[in-house]
Amino acid sequence: MKTNQRIRILMVRLGMDAHWRGSMVVARALRDAGMEVIYGGNQMPMNIVRMAIQEDVDIIGLSSLSGNHMMLAPEVVKLLKKEKVHDIKVVFGGTVPPDDVPKLKKAGIVEVFGPGSSLRKIISCIESLKNN
Amino acid sequence: MKTEIFDKKRLKEIKTKTAEWEENSYSCQKKLKKKYETLSGFDVKPLYTPDDLAGFDYLRDLGFPGESPFIRGVHPTMYRGRTWTHRQLAGFGPPEETNKRYKFLLQQGASGINGVFDYPTLRGYSSDDPDVYADVGRGGVAIDTVDDMRILFDGIPIDQVSVSLVTCQPICNISMQSMYFANALDRGIPLDRLAGTSQNDFLMETATTIAPGVLPPQASFKVSCDAIEFCTKNAPRWNPISFAGYNYREAGCTAPQEVALVIAHAIACSEEMLKRGIEIDSFANRLSFFLSAHNDFFEEIAKYRAARRIYCSIMKKRFNARDPRSLMFRFHVQTAGVALTAQQPLNNVARAAYHALAAVLGGAQSVHVDAYDEALCTPTELSSVTALRTQQILQNETGVTNTIDPLGGSYFLESLTNRMETEICGILDEIDSLGGLVKAVENGWIHKEIAEAAYKYQWAIENGEMPIVGVNCFKIEDEVLPIELFSSPETLKVQKKKLQIIKKKRNAAEVARSLDAISRCCEKNGNLMELMVGAVKSHLTEGEISQALKRVYGVWDPPLF
Repeated sequence: MKTNQRIRILMVRLGMDAHWRGSMVVARALRDAGMEVIYGGNQMPMNIVRMAIQEDVDIIGLSSLSGNHMMLAPEVVKLLKKEKVHDIKVVFGGTVPPDDVPKLKKAGIVEVFGPGSSLRKIISCIESLKNN
Repeated sequence: MKTEIFDKKRLKEIKTKTAEWEENSYSCQKKLKKKYETLSGFDVKPLYTPDDLAGFDYLRDLGFPGESPFIRGVHPTMYRGRTWTHRQLAGFGPPEETNKRYKFLLQQGASGINGVFDYPTLRGYSSDDPDVYADVGRGGVAIDTVDDMRILFDGIPIDQVSVSLVTCQPICNISMQSMYFANALDRGIPLDRLAGTSQNDFLMETATTIAPGVLPPQASFKVSCDAIEFCTKNAPRWNPISFAGYNYREAGCTAPQEVALVIAHAIACSEEMLKRGIEIDSFANRLSFFLSAHNDFFEEIAKYRAARRIYCSIMKKRFNARDPRSLMFRFHVQTAGVALTAQQPLNNVARAAYHALAAVLGGAQSVHVDAYDEALCTPTELSSVTALRTQQILQNETGVTNTIDPLGGSYFLESLTNRMETEICGILDEIDSLGGLVKAVENGWIHKEIAEAAYKYQWAIENGEMPIVGVNCFKIEDEVLPIELFSSPETLKVQKKKLQIIKKKRNAAEVARSLDAISRCCEKNGNLMELMVGAVKSHLTEGEISQALKRVYGVWDPPLF
């Protein structure tokens, strides 16, 4: 991951998910914390990876409240590996049953932010990802 | 003629005494917060007295239930005559599964159906589209063709039960409502016997939920108005639009913004219908509203009451409506999903019960109570029935239905209702000055307003100014989830297989003709629903219909903010 630069993050909503409030609020909070946020709207995994490479981001923030996370989020990590991209980290936020959290992490999602997550925690977690 | 109910001399005395009380008794107490305010940021005083209602004229400002300005309720008997409809939202998986849930809820005493569709259906995609495989059957029921609609309502007496179709986006509604009507006709039920509501709200397509490839605002609005016009002429008992303030609120609006937007939307539709040469009283009596019941109990009640008074005045003065039904702000309420917590989910039973109580004290016509597990998953059978029971307890055990508008006359509530009215009217003026609602969507004003309110709300929770039990106070660390979660039935394979069979069996030439007729209708600016109710019989898929619309109207990228 690049150092001494503003963190670049791609925020997208997975698949057909209709809820934009969470992703938008988090995108604003990250921007206000000094990060560069590219808001990609609704996307499927293939496009997310393509956009992330094109935009040269440090982090991909996935958002979903529709329940599609187990089918789509791991797919993003898989496609990044396939493209031999190793320096982009993927985080997830949205409605996730507690049992799915370890499954997502096992699939390579570095952090999962469930309902009620604190904005400050999200910001500091993403900042620490850059430093690692 | 002097009609104020409070005597000026006595008011002066009350004012002096209140100031004395505040100084001598109230202010010397310690531990008081500096500022008290409602969820939408209105200042709240420690005590309200007749002085807050100086100039109050009972007959002018409140009047009687069932009479203008309807602030005390739209019906003369309110819940004595007819209780609110217990309309629990349901929908998941393939139509075969949702049909079972509908029947279960009706058996348990639900008095109406409230059917929600999955994400692909809401956005105009068929289940076999390559971009939707992960969302089929999620958040609602998957419907692809008129055949699915037949299965969804199989064995349900749709000539007797009122059915709400939560077809949020006009691009979805035009297909789904047409399929619903086509299925009714096929069952031998004429359209004028169907009672129900479709959501059909263009803000849901262009502002409060944002999707890839949505119709441009003007086109989405036009498609929605086609359904209103069609129903006015053919299905007079159907509410062809339900202005979805609930969803605006879920996206981040404040209470006054929620009401201002639904009323601005009703104004836009009314103007469009008048342009189409339809008399105000032939459609306005079927415009219906959908609002949230959020955490601030009194503010929500004030919101419903203010909405009724403002709407009555606008329909009278701006549109010269004469039929009393055209002046009534009739609304469905859903308890606020955004207020539910994933932490300690059983607490949501209490939250939703307070929300529902506000709705009923505010005079709602129908109510959905959220299930306790909705911050985590689609409701299970147990959580759905608990939500329904919450309504039944409210209706049968608490006595709140005995008298009409029981909080009317409260110094605080009336004062808050007036304050709410002023705020809502201010926003309505602003939307007018922007050139109306469609323009306010096109130029991103709505998106910006909602985003800013949502951001402010989240920081209020973050900073602890807004306590949320289980989230920023009274937390349980390492909580073990005390409930079982719902798991979705297999849907993708089921729907894809049905589509494969249908696509083989249907008459290809007829399909091509129908799709071509739809395209031509779009080009000629004809009424799409007039054509669609017949066209869906040739087993067009929803995706095919949407694509035909998008080819003519194009797609729109909502503005970022």
